[in-house]
Amino acid sequence: MPPKNKGGGRAKAAEPAQQEPPKQPQTVRELEWQRYYDTNPHQKAYEELGLHGMTPADRQAYLNQEYLKPGAAKTLSNKAQKELWKQLNESNLPLRSLPRPRDSHWGRDKNGRDIGDYTIEEYGAHEAKTTKLLNLFFQSQAFKSKREKASNGDGHLVGDTVQPFTCTEDDFEREKVRRKEMADLQQDLYSVKTDPYALDPEWDDVVPIPQVEPEGALAAIAYPDEYAEAMSYLRAVMAVKEHTPRCLRLTERIISLNPAHYTVWLYRFSIVKALNIAIPDDIEWLNEVSLTYIKNYQIWNHRQLLLDHYYPTIVTSPSEVAALGDSERQFLERMLEEDAKNYHVWSYRQYLVRKLGLWDEEERQSIEALLDEDVRNNSAWSHRFFVAFSDPAHATPGSHATEPDPRVPAGVVDREVAYAQAKILLAPQNQSPWNYLKGALVKGGRKLGSVREFSEQFVTNLGGVGDAEEEVRSSHALDLLADIYKEAGEKEKADLALRRLGEKWDRIRKGYWEYRRKMLE
Amino acid sequence: MTSEEPPLDTARHIRYWQRCFRSLLPHHYVSNDSIRLTLGFFIVAALDLLSSPSSYSEPPRDPLKASLITPDDRKRLRAWVLSLQHPQGGFCGSPHHVLPEQYATKWDAINKVESARDPANANIAATYFALLLLGIVADDDGSSAFEGVHRIKTLRWLKKLQRDDGSFGEIIDEDGYVGGGRDMRYCYLAATIRWALGGPEAGEDFDVDALVAHIRRGQTFDGGVAESSMHESHAGYAYCAVAALSLLDLANPNAATQPNHYLHAGIPSVSSLVHFLACRQFDYLDSSSDEENAEPSTQPPPDLSTLTLSDTPITAGFNGRLNKAADTCYTWWVCGTLTMLGEGRVVDRSPARKFILEKAQHIIGGFAKHPGGPPDVYHAYLGLAALATMASEEGQDKEEGLGQFDPRLCISREASERVAKARETLLAPPEDESDDDWGYDTEKVKQEINWDETQKLIARLEAKWKAEGKIPVLEMDKWNPYDPPNLEELAAE
Repeated sequence: MPPKNKGGGRAKAAEPAQQEPPKQPQTVRELEWQRYYDTNPHQKAYEELGLHGMTPADRQAYLNQEYLKPGAAKTLSNKAQKELWKQLNESNLPLRSLPRPRDSHWGRDKNGRDIGDYTIEEYGAHEAKTTKLLNLFFQSQAFKSKREKASNGDGHLVGDTVQPFTCTEDDFEREKVRRKEMADLQQDLYSVKTDPYALDPEWDDVVPIPQVEPEGALAAIAYPDEYAEAMSYLRAVMAVKEHTPRCLRLTERIISLNPAHYTVWLYRFSIVKALNIAIPDDIEWLNEVSLTYIKNYQIWNHRQLLLDHYYPTIVTSPSEVAALGDSERQFLERMLEEDAKNYHVWSYRQYLVRKLGLWDEEERQSIEALLDEDVRNNSAWSHRFFVAFSDPAHATPGSHATEPDPRVPAGVVDREVAYAQAKILLAPQNQSPWNYLKGALVKGGRKLGSVREFSEQFVTNLGGVGDAEEEVRSSHALDLLADIYKEAGEKEKADLALRRLGEKWDRIRKGYWEYRRKMLE
Repeated sequence: MTSEEPPLDTARHIRYWQRCFRSLLPHHYVSNDSIRLTLGFFIVAALDLLSSPSSYSEPPRDPLKASLITPDDRKRLRAWVLSLQHPQGGFCGSPHHVLPEQYATKWDAINKVESARDPANANIAATYFALLLLGIVADDDGSSAFEGVHRIKTLRWLKKLQRDDGSFGEIIDEDGYVGGGRDMRYCYLAATIRWALGGPEAGEDFDVDALVAHIRRGQTFDGGVAESSMHESHAGYAYCAVAALSLLDLANPNAATQPNHYLHAGIPSVSSLVHFLACRQFDYLDSSSDEENAEPSTQPPPDLSTLTLSDTPITAGFNGRLNKAADTCYTWWVCGTLTMLGEGRVVDRSPARKFILEKAQHIIGGFAKHPGGPPDVYHAYLGLAALATMASEEGQDKEEGLGQFDPRLCISREASERVAKARETLLAPPEDESDDDWGYDTEKVKQEINWDETQKLIARLEAKWKAEGKIPVLEMDKWNPYDPPNLEELAAE
């Protein structure tokens, strides 16, 4: 910070007066003061000597000059005015004088430096820039005016004929260059950053709606400028429901910054509909976004909307439906490679199976491949249950997941029971296939006792000690056996199974096994 | 819980939350811009829970002074939350979703009603968090917490968010399309908003039976509850289902004669749900590998025969789905759900507490999602919620420094009581016009002044004046507004 110029021109003014000849001014402020004293020749004497210390002639001239201020002379009588002009003429006073400089009027530049302290050369360069900026501004205004006339179909006279105003690509390009130049100048002069949308002539007609928020708001975020600007443009175009290609691009921008924005997705979809954009194109764009924001939720709603919109247009063409099914499955597999348990992906996959009727062998095989890779992938197990037991070809519509469905063929139940058993043998302490086994039995309306023998192979000598020591290879087997014994009316055995679970085989759930024991009663 | 177990280091957590409260979130939070209300809720609810009257060993004489949320902050927060309200009902998730009034409201000249120009900006989650926040920051007993809330408009908007199958979406657009998945979370949010604003009492209730039927379809073959019918079971969705049904029960006027009516209607098999929830805990073993998110599924299955009966204390981590990694928030989702089901004791508190305090707690305060990770406001709050909930079980010691907790609303007991009080005020006969709902008031005033009849009378008068060659507007100008003439007499003249 430069030292503040205290006391105004008084102190400064005294300096040049003492030096003869007057010192060459260094700064624009000094120059200004010099000009002031040049046009107010008696001012200095007055300041140094006071009214009474001045020579009578100086005093008279000084006071006479007061009457040169606009209108002042008119307050005198005609006679006195005549006398005044006479004296003025004699004293050779300048008829016009500069007003007394104010210290604050120069302002400060972007670095906080007083512009009055600029050297004359510096100030010249500064002036040149502001002038250039102003010129560019006027040219830019002219461009806008011309563009408006062109869009109104206005004409202008060239020679004898009326020519319409036109705004060419070239004009647009030149304007872009001009805006860039203006932005650079503004940055240079005022440290004002111009955001990308304000630079783009295409967005001139949009008045952004910036966010307003009181001081000290909760969970406030230090928004980057580009986000804040893009958002204020989005708010503006969404408010008037503009559906144009530029808005589509804007939604892409916002989604890349804040994919969880819950209204921009609906807005994007309405633009896609309005512009009649090919749905596969938007899906392709969406694939990229989905792979970038793996955990995002809104993406999948958007995908459903797109499909709901697209499907009726291809429903009559089985080959197109099949192609859609293939490409969607391919993409989902790609997503599951990233995270095989991504909840949103699996939810969407159920939607897809229902929508396109993919209750086929291919679907089951693709799940089996995932289970071969990781037999503990519970999401895949869950999806398998859905495909096996919700297939409208043989399932009662609306049959609850936990209730028997008499329409499910015995063959399906057999197949699913066998599949679960095979996977249990691979990893007996994996709960997913145990739950699946029980679920399939219930769905098929079968007794749990039908897998008693199978389950007992994981438990030897229940409750035994010494030579015949108890051995349990799967706590889940024991858990299921407790239900099987209960179903068979062997309450004591069921109680023993539950007790041993709490005592030894699954102690972390001791409280739960006690709860189950109470339920036996 | 035994006496040797370390207490919760509340000072550290308070410092963490005060930092969150006072500082500007850095720019990479931009992707959370639309849920700022949610972030704010966790911060304020945590400060409240850490300084509510029951968090002190002796109840403070002036609870307001003892709270970490100062009276000034309360005023400021209240104003901020209300600034996010959509003029046509519901709340917006962040200031970026709040448009100036002229873009938010339009006048439907045919039906002569106001409606929303940008209805999709109001969001169901934001509305839930806003109402609870208003209860938390209330500086009285809660009576005036909902002052300024557009009760009727919000309830009408909520009704529109319900789909034919009983499920709810998160937003609705101008064409009436309900956005968002068929998601159990929205069921819970809807049930809470309905209870808090007294939906049935206002005559603006949604289809409760359809909602219960929708939740009912969410139970899965393994006893858990899924996002919606036939999806994968998930502890978080189980919480949402049970809490939604509990709130329906809470709002049930016949609760005394039919306790847990909706709970039993909405969960086909409570015992298998308890099984699913109890199975979410497992013995957490530090993975020797450096991989941060190593899931148990990548490790070889534990061989039961190698288990010994040694008494080394167990650390119980919780997952949300079968064969997934332990995550702090699932201790809360599981314990909170079991507590609402009245089976909280199924979980052994000590090992569960050990996981949160020893594995998930971070040196700067707060809790991480996974052991070793950085804390975030979501897991830091739900970690506290889990500790408070487990302490609330009968016969358990208090968690020092934490207040009592309401698992249904997921806020401190005292804050929950303030929300209940705010609700009571709404339900009280409207002696004073506390409901500032413009459309609703207009209807009432119209009835009081017999609007339709008056309109007809004026039409008759106008016809009469026209027949007499007078200009109706000028005639009416002669009336003294403070002493209007009797219209019937005028018309009869």
